[in-house]
Amino acid sequence: MTRSVFTNPYLLILPGFLLTAFIIVWPLIQLGILSTSDLNRFGVIRGPAGWENFAAVFADPDFIASAWRTLFWTVAIVVGSLVISIPVAIILSEDFYGRGLARVIIMLPWSVSLTMTAIVWRWALNGESGMLNSALTGLGLIDDNIQWLAQASTAFPVQVMIGILVTIPFTTTIFLGGLSSIPEDLYEAARLEGASRWQIFREITLPLIRPFINIAIVMNTIYVFNSFPIIWAMTQGGPANSTDILVTYLYKQGFLFGKLGEAAALSLIMFAVLLAFTIVYVRLAMRRESP
Amino acid sequence: MDIKRIGNRFLAGTALAAAALVPLTAAQAQTVRVTVAEYSSLTGPYFEEAAAAFEAANPGTEIQIEVIPWNVLLQTLTTDISGGVNADLSIIGTRWLLDFVEQDIAQPLDDYMDQAFVDRFIPTFLTPSVMDGQTFGLPVAASARAMYYNRDLLEQAGFDGPPETWAELAEAAAAISALGDDIYGYGIQGNEVETDVYFYYAFWSHGGSLIDEDGTSGLDSQAAYQAAALYRDLIDGGATQPGVTSYTREDVQNLFKQGRVGMMITAPFLSTQIRAEAPDLDYGVAAIPAGPDGARGTYGVTDSIIMFANTDVADTAWAFLDLLFTQEWRSTFTGGEGFLPVNAAVAQEPSFAEDPDLAVFASVLPDARFAPVIAGWEEIADITSSALQRIYLGQGEIEETLNEAAAEIDGILN
Repeated sequence: MTRSVFTNPYLLILPGFLLTAFIIVWPLIQLGILSTSDLNRFGVIRGPAGWENFAAVFADPDFIASAWRTLFWTVAIVVGSLVISIPVAIILSEDFYGRGLARVIIMLPWSVSLTMTAIVWRWALNGESGMLNSALTGLGLIDDNIQWLAQASTAFPVQVMIGILVTIPFTTTIFLGGLSSIPEDLYEAARLEGASRWQIFREITLPLIRPFINIAIVMNTIYVFNSFPIIWAMTQGGPANSTDILVTYLYKQGFLFGKLGEAAALSLIMFAVLLAFTIVYVRLAMRRESP
Repeated sequence: MDIKRIGNRFLAGTALAAAALVPLTAAQAQTVRVTVAEYSSLTGPYFEEAAAAFEAANPGTEIQIEVIPWNVLLQTLTTDISGGVNADLSIIGTRWLLDFVEQDIAQPLDDYMDQAFVDRFIPTFLTPSVMDGQTFGLPVAASARAMYYNRDLLEQAGFDGPPETWAELAEAAAAISALGDDIYGYGIQGNEVETDVYFYYAFWSHGGSLIDEDGTSGLDSQAAYQAAALYRDLIDGGATQPGVTSYTREDVQNLFKQGRVGMMITAPFLSTQIRAEAPDLDYGVAAIPAGPDGARGTYGVTDSIIMFANTDVADTAWAFLDLLFTQEWRSTFTGGEGFLPVNAAVAQEPSFAEDPDLAVFASVLPDARFAPVIAGWEEIADITSSALQRIYLGQGEIEETLNEAAAEIDGILN
């Protein structure tokens, strides 16, 4: 049987590939060129720079500090939202009166732009006129106002908390999809055998939604690692760069200080980190799934 | 940026095709694109109005105004310039001008300017835009800084008038803070843009200068140590609002408008805001206090409008600038935005000359210092702000932290 040339799979994926290449590969090539060039303040190439831009990035102590903070930021939000979203999704997948409303409430943070959420929180956390302080004072929990955003020791945990809050809707949605794919008769059989709720969760639910957990981890890591608005709108990485993560550090290098070569190098480094994480994680997860 | 470029080619193609269809008389139609910074909600409408007036007076021309919020202006310009799609005229912070001049992005305007045009300006404000004897920008907005004080609070604390020296200010601030839990003596800005400037007020009064004569940073000097110690003592002694490192200038201004801060240093636009938002506030404006040796300093800021070197419509663009800098249009802009007049004739108008707040600002101008003309100034400002935040938070010893910052700045200066 001869195949028509129009069913050739390579030909069929060609349009999609070209679009992807235009959007992703081409900017990457540009970044590669910029990161190895000596650029002026406005991104005009003056000459080759070799690895100087990369060396300059690694020599900056603020970069190292931001990198560690980014690791903490990403792990804390991804794990935190996972731990909260699984029980939330399980509850929402059960049938109870008012479930529709509960689902809407859980999804609401998703419908507000990240920047707006961050700005509202910035007001709420204002030391003198913020709602949070007046609520805590009203409840008798604190005597003096806490200046939440004045130092990293209070500002950064709050930012992580907001990060978790806004990540929950997406994660919950993934798990709701996963839970609805589990056949009900498995649970029925388990209950007939006298399995406890915890056993059902451990032995049936968790293994069956594992692929969805993997998806949630990979996608959330990519989003959270690159998440700019929460930190920028609340502290701009301050005070004294103590809440900077890589992406806010990158923005400052590129657009505030005009070090476009170093910024390009840093973007490539960040891209490489994410790519490496995704490949390694996906391979590990797949190996576990198909023994 | 490159999609823009493609888009522009497409537009250019369309424009060519369209031009081929219209009669020859319209062939000289010239479009001038102007990037303006959004100072307030009045900025966009003001420039649109000026553009309409210009187009009416010069048939066949078109002025396109692009209003960009201040905090993304430099980013937008950088992206536009690197993509080759920048406008013909743009407002920029004069402290960025050197970068634009060094990279041949701004063009000198002297060929267009005659003596009568130069005479329209107050020289103090035109000078910062002059480099190597050539004028690269025209001051479109100008401000200086002075001390706002709350008369009621000072009186309650037992003071007749505003403090003359920093020692008196410290005394008054402590007394005002003692008036109540929610009332603070001296508002200190410790976050975001101009955190460094808020420190320079005290630094200059103690005889410091940002760049020493040997071309290195002045942060590792006695003046800097003393000014930082002054601020930290005020913070530790409870004479300022708590948590200064979370306060932007606008946050401190809000406390002042609420009558909860006795004194703060800021620009004349606070008067405009108080008129609109807190008309009952009994406040006054005075010079920034003097240091132990009587030295004073205030920060002068101008924004310039520049013409890009790669413009094709320089003559029309200049004609539009000429209109913008006439007395009538300057008067509307300056009054609306709450800036200091840059036109000598505007400064003589009763609404400016007889305004008591503006009179104080005009009187401090001889002490005004402008941001030094250095490439990489934004990064130096950021290093300074970070060092100050560590000091305000008590995370670093004053001398050690400032010396470290000075060393880092020296690395940029060389």
